[in-house]
Amino acid sequence: MSELVLLKNSQPGETISFEEYRRDGGYEALARVLREWSPTELRQVIIDSGLCGRGGAGFPTGRKWDGIREDAPFPRYILANGDEMEPGTFKDRFLIQTNPHTVIEGIILAGYAVSAQKGIEFIRPSYETQARVMEQAVKEARQTGYLGKNILGSGFDFDIEVHRSGGRYICGEASAQVTAIQGMRPHPDKTFHMVQHGLWGQPTIVNNVETLAFVPHIVRKGAAWFKSLSRTTREGGTKLYCVSGKVRKPGCYEAPMGTPLSEIIESHAGGMLPGCTFKACLPGGASSGFMTKEHYDIPMDFDSLKAIGNRLGTGAVIIFDQQTCLVGATLNLIAYFARESCGFCTPCREGLPYLRDLLHRIEGGEGEESFIPMLEDMTRFMTHAYCAFARGAAAPVHALLNAFPDEIDAHISRKGCPCASTRSWPVGGIGESCRN
Amino acid sequence: MPELIIDHREISVPQGTKVIDAAERLGIMIPRFCYHPALGSLGACRMCAVLFNEGPVKGLEMSCMVEAEDGMVVSTDAPEAVAFRRWIVECLMLNHPHDCPVCDEGGHCLLQDETVSGGHGIRRYKGKKRTYRDQDLGPFIQHEMNRCIHCWRCRRFYQEYAGYHDLGALGIANRIYFGRIEEGPLSSPFSGNLVDICPTGVFTDKPSRFKGRRWDFERAPSLCLHCSLGCNIVASGRYRELVRVEARLNRQVNGYFMCDRGRYGYQYANRVDRPRRPRVDGREASWDAALRTTAERLGEIVERSGSQAIACLGSVRNSLETQARLVALCRNQGWPEPRFFLDPATERKARSAASRLDSTLAVSMKDLEEADFILAVGVDPINEAPMLALSMRQAQRRGATLAVLDPRPVVLPADFHHVPVHPRSLYLALSALITRALHRDAIERMGTRPLQFYDHARGIAPEKQDLTEQITLLARGLRESRRPVIVCGTNIVPETVPPLAADLALLLQQEKPDTGLFYVLEGANAFGAAILSPPQDPREHLLECIEKGDTRALLLVENDPFARFPDQERLRNALGKLDLLATLDYLPSPVIRMANIVLPTRTTFETRGRYANQEGRVQETWPAYQGGISLAQVRHGAHPPRTFQDHIPGGDVRNASRVVTDIDSKLSGTEGKTGSGDFWEFLEERGIGVAVTDPDDHGTDGVRLVQKQDRTPVFSAENFSLTACAAPPEALTVLLVDWTFGTEELSRYSSIAEQAENPPTITLHARDAADMGIAAGDTIALPVDGVRLEMEVEVTEHMARGIMILPLHRQLDWDRISRIPSAILKKSIKRKKR
Repeated sequence: MSELVLLKNSQPGETISFEEYRRDGGYEALARVLREWSPTELRQVIIDSGLCGRGGAGFPTGRKWDGIREDAPFPRYILANGDEMEPGTFKDRFLIQTNPHTVIEGIILAGYAVSAQKGIEFIRPSYETQARVMEQAVKEARQTGYLGKNILGSGFDFDIEVHRSGGRYICGEASAQVTAIQGMRPHPDKTFHMVQHGLWGQPTIVNNVETLAFVPHIVRKGAAWFKSLSRTTREGGTKLYCVSGKVRKPGCYEAPMGTPLSEIIESHAGGMLPGCTFKACLPGGASSGFMTKEHYDIPMDFDSLKAIGNRLGTGAVIIFDQQTCLVGATLNLIAYFARESCGFCTPCREGLPYLRDLLHRIEGGEGEESFIPMLEDMTRFMTHAYCAFARGAAAPVHALLNAFPDEIDAHISRKGCPCASTRSWPVGGIGESCRN
Repeated sequence: MPELIIDHREISVPQGTKVIDAAERLGIMIPRFCYHPALGSLGACRMCAVLFNEGPVKGLEMSCMVEAEDGMVVSTDAPEAVAFRRWIVECLMLNHPHDCPVCDEGGHCLLQDETVSGGHGIRRYKGKKRTYRDQDLGPFIQHEMNRCIHCWRCRRFYQEYAGYHDLGALGIANRIYFGRIEEGPLSSPFSGNLVDICPTGVFTDKPSRFKGRRWDFERAPSLCLHCSLGCNIVASGRYRELVRVEARLNRQVNGYFMCDRGRYGYQYANRVDRPRRPRVDGREASWDAALRTTAERLGEIVERSGSQAIACLGSVRNSLETQARLVALCRNQGWPEPRFFLDPATERKARSAASRLDSTLAVSMKDLEEADFILAVGVDPINEAPMLALSMRQAQRRGATLAVLDPRPVVLPADFHHVPVHPRSLYLALSALITRALHRDAIERMGTRPLQFYDHARGIAPEKQDLTEQITLLARGLRESRRPVIVCGTNIVPETVPPLAADLALLLQQEKPDTGLFYVLEGANAFGAAILSPPQDPREHLLECIEKGDTRALLLVENDPFARFPDQERLRNALGKLDLLATLDYLPSPVIRMANIVLPTRTTFETRGRYANQEGRVQETWPAYQGGISLAQVRHGAHPPRTFQDHIPGGDVRNASRVVTDIDSKLSGTEGKTGSGDFWEFLEERGIGVAVTDPDDHGTDGVRLVQKQDRTPVFSAENFSLTACAAPPEALTVLLVDWTFGTEELSRYSSIAEQAENPPTITLHARDAADMGIAAGDTIALPVDGVRLEMEVEVTEHMARGIMILPLHRQLDWDRISRIPSAILKKSIKRKKR
């Protein structure tokens, strides 16, 4: 087993206490940085470490931080994105639950790196338990002087607030999250640059919780060490992979960035369930495309998946076996996305229910040959939506059309689902009406 | 100036132009829903997708989101773009009810147009449609959410542009609902714009519902006469009834929008009780007989009592032509010059305002939106000239600071500094502001006249300390601004204030060349009335002349003296003493019932006319329809018409300017010839030149009148002496004010606007009310001789102390209001037991 960074001392369901965290070298990184490093040095170390954003886009974190200019106005904000509404993803919940202080230390360090005064932990409302864990940890950090005015006598002021989301998928999108915190309707908004006019119009850095949690470890052990953890050359460190589906041990596993899919399934998740054979998986949550056995050994990192037209996304690997109907699975995902669309732009608001209707008919035995070119057109059109949501939502449909055309044809020609597994989707209840 | 190619045609556009607008300049209308020039780009509907072949942007992109840049090669008709747009329309039509046959938008519906032009004809979606429950949004707007295509225009206009928040987006995904949290009338006085801005039939005009298709209507460009701003409108008539008013684009005045008073105040034109036939001594007469009698009787009175016994009173709602003809009539006949204002103080304020608006100071509403500091003095925009408030909000959205010096509880859909000053302290406050905003050194360089004035202003110290602090704050804002605009009302302010506002603007202009001055006048054509009024005051008030018997005949031209004159009884008595009361009007005013001769005139919707708005901008209205009694009234609702006549019932009403000319001709014996009174010639005599604001826009945006030389000396304010008229602290000054609905003369005759009226209430300062033991919601009895006057009280802290505010409301008994003294002792006000 390779070296663990974030989950080193973690036990599912238990929280590493402040004392335990301190005993294991916690907050040393913060103390050292405040004492010895300039913000510029910290940013350079993070750039050198190859840390890439773990929220899904994989953007180099240090470069993101460099986006705030030296002369940018104050106050500046750090927004720790713990919205985590991507189906199949539960790494942030696991991380906050087991090791909240490493997240807090990461947020403070990020704050120092860009001279921010305030951090906001944006957390999904269904993560109420984790929100409380976080609040307790923030309180402890404040009581012990790691948060607040003049941290460790350095003159650096910083505090963290835990903000519970109203609870919608779109709130995970950075610009929508910012508008949500400001008490407005969350819509993606491309008209402002986060590093210039983010939260309350001030320079803001939005990072995923997992990304921030790596920062103290990089400071303590160095950029070279972090880079060496990875099996890739560009992207540093380990990655939290969330494995779910037909495997023996579904769960959140930490493994080097670029660990092959086969290794994640077989050595971490204990292999497929008895009687199940691997048919396909979604490598990066619901908004990535189905990956077939052909790519069973692919290294799970941003660049490798991008090379085959897929996404690492959040690293949430959802595994389907031979008996699972992928049309039904796609329908399930699209129904989720259709419900969670923020409704701002047409392709997403109207296109997703349209897709859902077509898939539902195919799955329910009312499919027609003419649906296939319609689905193909629509998945292409969805890429021209306002934000990446619709593009992501269309990804599984796109992959289904490319990788499993026979399965769709079988549904249409046999007028129903040919798969052995029981129907996971009720036939009625799709054409819902709205009463206000 | 980026140069790009759109559909093989080259165009060069200003930096920052969006590709969608660049295409429009070439006459290529890229389909759109969410994009609106006034609201800007959003990128939500995805309808304006075009293909970028070359240049910095490549591929299918939204033309409203991309700024034109050099080297771009854009194709609006690439198969990929056409297919994508067709799919977008298909998506938008998934849930649309296809109820065009019963939808009022049908025929001028953007969704219809784009669906047909986009090529989406056959429905492929087999699912059920989403349905919504609609809301009752009040008397103006019909709601039909099922038609919604979620373009966000309504919410963006209502919340972002107009600053009201009771209508918005609820829910997510394809269940988004645009409406209110609860049913109820919309709170915004700009709600009617939702009808204009909605690209389909979600918000339709309720009063004109089912009254006809766009192509059934007789339509013409017209002007709103419900305040002095002169917003441009389109009037629609059908079956001789005015059925709808919409905003018409004027980039200098109202932009794309208008207020609800203007939109729904038109019903006066459809009144059953409108004067339709000339009447002499209560009996219908032919035009010829009525005009002849008018001339004869006027002639007799001149013979008997001399020409000075004739008085002509035009009005602020006359067209410029009518006003000019009236002046010509008086001159030709050797009568005293006509007046246009009954109240000499109002006339003086309007005259002084008009005389101070020179071409360098006067700004349009559009210019106002570009200001970075707006100081509004003695004006309550939402209640007096609603579109001004919308304009001020746009200025603020661009970063301007807004400040209002006014005693009333002014509310604006924007943040502003409110300095509630007692009307008689406005002059002091403004003087204090001048001295704090400008340094004496700077004034000294301007010459002795400005310095004299400055020192005069400095000699006046404001009365209260807390006021000084606020004034200092405003002064700093004014000092730091680059494009300040002084907005000044002419209604509740003392006569000294409008010229002082001009002086302030003039001083500021020395340092800040872009300083602007913006008056709000009393009446649609008050500017015209002001410049055509004789330059000097009448020796005596018209009523006094009548009461003394000096004036024996009164010719009223579209003037209802009862509309604004509080002392109704005195007015009635005075008019009763006349030998001849002749009136020309289209309103069923109280004067119509009293007059010896009634000559019915046309409304602005039925005739051509020019009006000068408060900045002196002359704009023109065109007749939308012939006039006459509407078919609905003639047939009592039965359809189709079964009686055939050779004339239009009630159609024999005439343009007021023509009637005035006809009287002139009858008197002079020159029938058939047009007498002198050409408006532009007339202005030439008065030394008023026409300044064309922008030669290219001549005709669409109107032309601005300016006087060739100032009649009033610059820095005139010091000529007024400050009369210490301090009311005793135990008394409240009564302030009669305007409200958005219920007080304006024309809309008071509109049954639609009526429905939006709030019942009249008395407003008191919280501390004054507390002193008297009065709470909000109490009913109080006012000490009025002989009659009972009881009203509900509203209480607020956001107004000046020592005043009592009462709207000049239609629903009030004016005979009683007239008996309220101008100041009331607090102790004489009694709270009625609940």
